[in-house]
Amino acid sequence: MSEKKENTSAKEAKKKKISSPTSSFKVVVREIVKDKVALTAFIVIVLVLLFTFGGSLFLNAEKVTETNIIDAYYGWGMNGHIFGTDDGGRDILNLLMMGGRNSILIGLGVTAVCEIVGLLVGLVSGYYGGNVDAVIMRIVDFIQVLPAMPIEIVLVSVIPNYNPLSLVGIISLFGWTGTSRYFRAFVLSQRGRDYVLASKTSGSSDFKIMFREVLPNITSMIIIDVVLQIASNIGIETTLSFIGYGLPSTVPSLGTLIGFANDPVNVVSRPWLWLPATVMLLAISLSVNYVGRAFQRAADARQREN
Amino acid sequence: MAKEIIQVKNLKVHYPIRSGFWNRVTDYVRAVDDVSITINEGETYGLIGESGSGKSTTGKAIVGVEPITSGQIIYQGVNITTAKNRRKLNYNKDVQMIFQDSMSSLNPRKRIEDIIAEPIRNFENLTTDQERERVQELLDIVGMPSDSLYKYPHEFSGGQRQRIGVARAVATNPRLIVADEPTSALDLSVQAQVLNFMKHIQQQYDIAYLFISHDLGVVKHMSENLAIMHRGRLVEIGSRDDIYNHPMHIYTKRLLSAIPLVDVEHREENKKHRQEVEQEFQNDQSKWYDDKGRVYPLQQVSGKHWVALPKDELKQEEIKEKGRD
Repeated sequence: MSEKKENTSAKEAKKKKISSPTSSFKVVVREIVKDKVALTAFIVIVLVLLFTFGGSLFLNAEKVTETNIIDAYYGWGMNGHIFGTDDGGRDILNLLMMGGRNSILIGLGVTAVCEIVGLLVGLVSGYYGGNVDAVIMRIVDFIQVLPAMPIEIVLVSVIPNYNPLSLVGIISLFGWTGTSRYFRAFVLSQRGRDYVLASKTSGSSDFKIMFREVLPNITSMIIIDVVLQIASNIGIETTLSFIGYGLPSTVPSLGTLIGFANDPVNVVSRPWLWLPATVMLLAISLSVNYVGRAFQRAADARQREN
Repeated sequence: MAKEIIQVKNLKVHYPIRSGFWNRVTDYVRAVDDVSITINEGETYGLIGESGSGKSTTGKAIVGVEPITSGQIIYQGVNITTAKNRRKLNYNKDVQMIFQDSMSSLNPRKRIEDIIAEPIRNFENLTTDQERERVQELLDIVGMPSDSLYKYPHEFSGGQRQRIGVARAVATNPRLIVADEPTSALDLSVQAQVLNFMKHIQQQYDIAYLFISHDLGVVKHMSENLAIMHRGRLVEIGSRDDIYNHPMHIYTKRLLSAIPLVDVEHREENKKHRQEVEQEFQNDQSKWYDDKGRVYPLQQVSGKHWVALPKDELKQEEIKEKGRD
């Protein structure tokens, strides 16, 4: 009896000493720390997230978007408004916090939807190949030739009960195609490997092979794509808000702030309206791209190691 | 006479070649063309041929991972070329495969425990403890330390990985294992090690092997009956004695003469023999191959010995055969 216990405890001890194939987390950390630009970018991202999400905690959306014409167009640092106020007397700093948070959340939401749908479609298409692949890819082709932006504008204006969630849906409607193509390519290269054949001869179902065998082998590609997609999806949201078809006016966003630059007077004489949001968008996009590149390098290095 | 375990009848695997503006099928690559073999219970059947001769494709078709063009594979009286029949029989519980490249045949993201347990989980209902015990037992059989359970494939050497492949293949107590060049990626000492394990397991569990290889020395060590393939067709089948001592087809002779011999005293003789065979091949090639470069259908020469002879050649060879006896 006691011998058996010893046996099991030994087994557990062994189980704790788990080794991983290549600890990808460590590689990524090393890659980011080693590269000064990536490290700076990473710090910028953390700061922006702290600023927007942390700051928004103390803000009330209704109060922030409340109009008070008497306070309109205060300049830099006037009357306690560090970044001044807009035409409705709203504090730009507060708008920047809330707007930044909203834009980032929408970017994340769109990325999540696109990645999940794209991954599923890519897996099915790449794994089965043949006719299934041909049909799915022609559908993807069709969606890709549609002019996304005009259709999004039309949908934004015709949809009833328009809110941030529906905007996520509308942007995702066109976003998943690129992702599915990207993942399909990797699944195609994996499905011919012997371990997939071995799984088939071991009696695993196609579903199981797709999600338990192939999927873990393309995780590094997923991480890279997610990171890079976030930046571009924030960009899409801001573009729509900039031309006035983005978020409803009660929801501040980076795009609506940058939208003040539509007016030549604002561009020349009231830079506090649009400059902070522009700088923030630039900082987010650039930083995410640099960090994403560090991720990419980390994945490449591992492929070389193998 | 041992009972047969699997019968391959007129197996054909053709891949279409598409070309032209409309991408129409203009021709076929005949990877496997009209192959028929029978494997008995508990024996090792050697399948030999050069690269690209279709031997791996034949093996994959038998395991059921390669869609076939036509022909039958009979297992327990059922044609298992359709996925439905395979599922009904739990076919892959009984027929497993050992792959050539041990690195790519083991999922780099899975632990050894999960890799070996995969067929067990799919075909047998065991509790977690029973399953772990079984995996331990399998690792013992192939002589691996028990702490390999929680390691990943890249932490092992090539020979160890191939033994893990063997352990996975025998996990469900199969009756036939298709071994697709299991040792061609290993160096000689490790080859012997893996081969001895395979033989040991065969004797213990009465498993039949379809041993696919291009290494005639290894096949001689392993198998009783063998088949030679060339360009997707069978050239010669027979017992080990038939093939090694009385080869009849020019291709078999050429293949055998290509085995390097360490025999300094008879070096000149061997060289002369090799040159003779090569000369014969150059001169008589048109006689042994039809106008499309394929060998002729097999004809029975003696008991188990079948050779792809040209039609008019049979009688001459028969006379020679009689002289031999």
